[in-house]
Amino acid sequence: MLRRLAPGAAVLLAVALAGCGGGSQKKAENPPAQPYSKRSTAPGVVARVTPADYRRPIADYRRYVRRRLGTLGAQVGVLRAAIARDDLSGARAAWMRADATYESIGAAYGAFGDLDAAVNGRPDGLPGGVHSQDFTGLHRVELALWERRSTHDAARPAADLARAVARMRAKMATLEIDPLEYSLRAHEILEDGIHLQLSGQASPWSGSALVALRAEVDGTRVVLDTLTPLISRRDASNALPQARRALRRLSTALTQLERGDGTLPRWDALSQRDRELVDGLAAGAAEQLAYVPELIDPRPARPAQRPFGESG
Amino acid sequence: MPGDAAGGRVRRRAFLGGAAALGAGAAIDRVAGPREQAASAQSATTAPSRPIAFEGVHQAGILTPSPRHAIFAAFDSIAPGRADLAAALQALSERARRLTRGYDALLGAPGEGPTPDSGILGPKAVPDDLTVTIAFGASLFDDRYGLAARKPRHLKPMTTFPDDALVAEECHGDVMVQLCANGEQTLLNALRDLMRATRGALAGRWKIEGFLPQPRESGSPRNLLGFKDGTANPATADAAEMDRVVWVAGDGGEPAWAVGGTYQVVRIIRNRVEFWDRVARSEQELMIGRDKGTGAPLGKRREHDDPDYRTDPKGDRIPMDAHIRLARPRTPETEQSRILRRGFNYSRGLDMSGQLDMGLVFCCFQTDVERQFEAVQKRLAGEPLVDYVVPTGGGYFFAPPGARDSEDWVGSGLLA
Repeated sequence: MLRRLAPGAAVLLAVALAGCGGGSQKKAENPPAQPYSKRSTAPGVVARVTPADYRRPIADYRRYVRRRLGTLGAQVGVLRAAIARDDLSGARAAWMRADATYESIGAAYGAFGDLDAAVNGRPDGLPGGVHSQDFTGLHRVELALWERRSTHDAARPAADLARAVARMRAKMATLEIDPLEYSLRAHEILEDGIHLQLSGQASPWSGSALVALRAEVDGTRVVLDTLTPLISRRDASNALPQARRALRRLSTALTQLERGDGTLPRWDALSQRDRELVDGLAAGAAEQLAYVPELIDPRPARPAQRPFGESG
Repeated sequence: MPGDAAGGRVRRRAFLGGAAALGAGAAIDRVAGPREQAASAQSATTAPSRPIAFEGVHQAGILTPSPRHAIFAAFDSIAPGRADLAAALQALSERARRLTRGYDALLGAPGEGPTPDSGILGPKAVPDDLTVTIAFGASLFDDRYGLAARKPRHLKPMTTFPDDALVAEECHGDVMVQLCANGEQTLLNALRDLMRATRGALAGRWKIEGFLPQPRESGSPRNLLGFKDGTANPATADAAEMDRVVWVAGDGGEPAWAVGGTYQVVRIIRNRVEFWDRVARSEQELMIGRDKGTGAPLGKRREHDDPDYRTDPKGDRIPMDAHIRLARPRTPETEQSRILRRGFNYSRGLDMSGQLDMGLVFCCFQTDVERQFEAVQKRLAGEPLVDYVVPTGGGYFFAPPGARDSEDWVGSGLLA
């Protein structure tokens, strides 16, 4: 699930710290070794992005999500059929595909609200953890199929999952994706992958972090594709091409980890070196993607503030 | 300097994107020899804003008096090619140069992208005796970057000794970054900065944080066994002694780029402190060979008194298998195995049996690991103390000579 500080939090923190004391950038004795460019969205150069500019990208993305949810519905059907005939390995394979499909639409999670928890909820934060009645959805099925090796135990949560996916598909007609949130997802889907998948937290029983990460990389690319016309005109420092390059490196590394049959190994079965490679490339890509949202911030320009580190 | 600022940001991006060229950093003062380094470290203790020079014939953080805190962080290179590895190492030095000098932090403002500095030191980052010491593990010299022929002569993966219980995930590494400073937050700021600047090229492998006790007593700091530790260290002010013990010279068959460097051994040595605390003081002292109160060799009065083994040939006063006696028997033959220790204590949580995980991040420098550290280690094998200390991780590394000037970077001789 995507989480983030409130959009203004970084600014608030900056203001709070600014009160701490008087560094002066102008009088700096040491030229900064890691300074930032002047903002690429400087007024008068290229117009600021407005929420209206997001109509087209978000419409395109909604079409993508609708297609993916159709796929997800079918995959959950296959999953339930395998469960019904007590085919554990078939059910596991179907689960993997369904989970990856859901991981590929990360920019819509927030818009789905509670339905997202019904499909993709995890036991963390629930009193009682895995035993909680509220623990349902993909990961409840995962627990049944891997930890408990039980198609029987998976039947009811899989039925619940199918209903939740159906509700999601029904909700598509009225789904509203907020432009600001959408811009942030370009960066944060991958942050999510690092935080939840590569930590082993999201899918501890199936060990499917690499499969999920691959889907998240694909999903990030879809978001970037829809936003490219907005980004490119404002991307003086080439953030987007560099982010795409970093994503390509990550994708290539994932492809090289594929086994003969095209499947990816369990995340917890990787050698330390391979794990470091994926961790390092994912972090490298996140570092690049972090520059993207601000280029296309749909909020009105904030009144000029004292730049941080400069005393008035 | 807004123009510089814009260029600098692009440079950082360019590195992260895999392109090599990183411009030179800030103009820098001078080339400091080891004596000057030590001297500046001394004065930094009284005037905390005086930086310890990053540049020098040798790297700082080796002879520099230990400040209160340290982080040892091992990385593996995931750089796709040699130029990317070189760019990452250059970035390490450039960032280290800025971090160790102190700087006006760029904390970020609306419209400026990700916050350039972590800001955890506030707008004004003072040097705080920070040193950044960079070293390479044997694995860096495998076939990935074509460096095999340039490997320092004595560099090899850390040996597994009979009393070790090594955890694979906390051993070895392509690059070791040793950070030392007075404040923990100074170290964390530096670590975050250095890792960020090398993201996508250096992946974290393991790390451990160490500390020393508040300087309350005279003499060597106490380890977590309660004993003064480091008393027998060679004098860092004795340049000739340092040349013998620490610095790699040009006449030992080492590659030219390695001259002025040193071999670094890092060992995470857990202390079984609960067990240790259930042992009588007298037994502890017989195992160590020192008085627990004063740190003096048993039967002597002061910490730095000679243990005088000649008058105790049978070990009546200091047992033959006491730690200090095995570690340094003070015979002419064994004096060539002296090492320069620079360890820190560590503490990090509980294990499954509910016991504290704490002990020593042992660190030592020498010109030849086998002749020095390993010779000591072999003498210590099976000592009574082994029941109370468990080496669980670490590695062997080679710390190259220092960056010569403001344009140079640690490792340039290897990779340039």
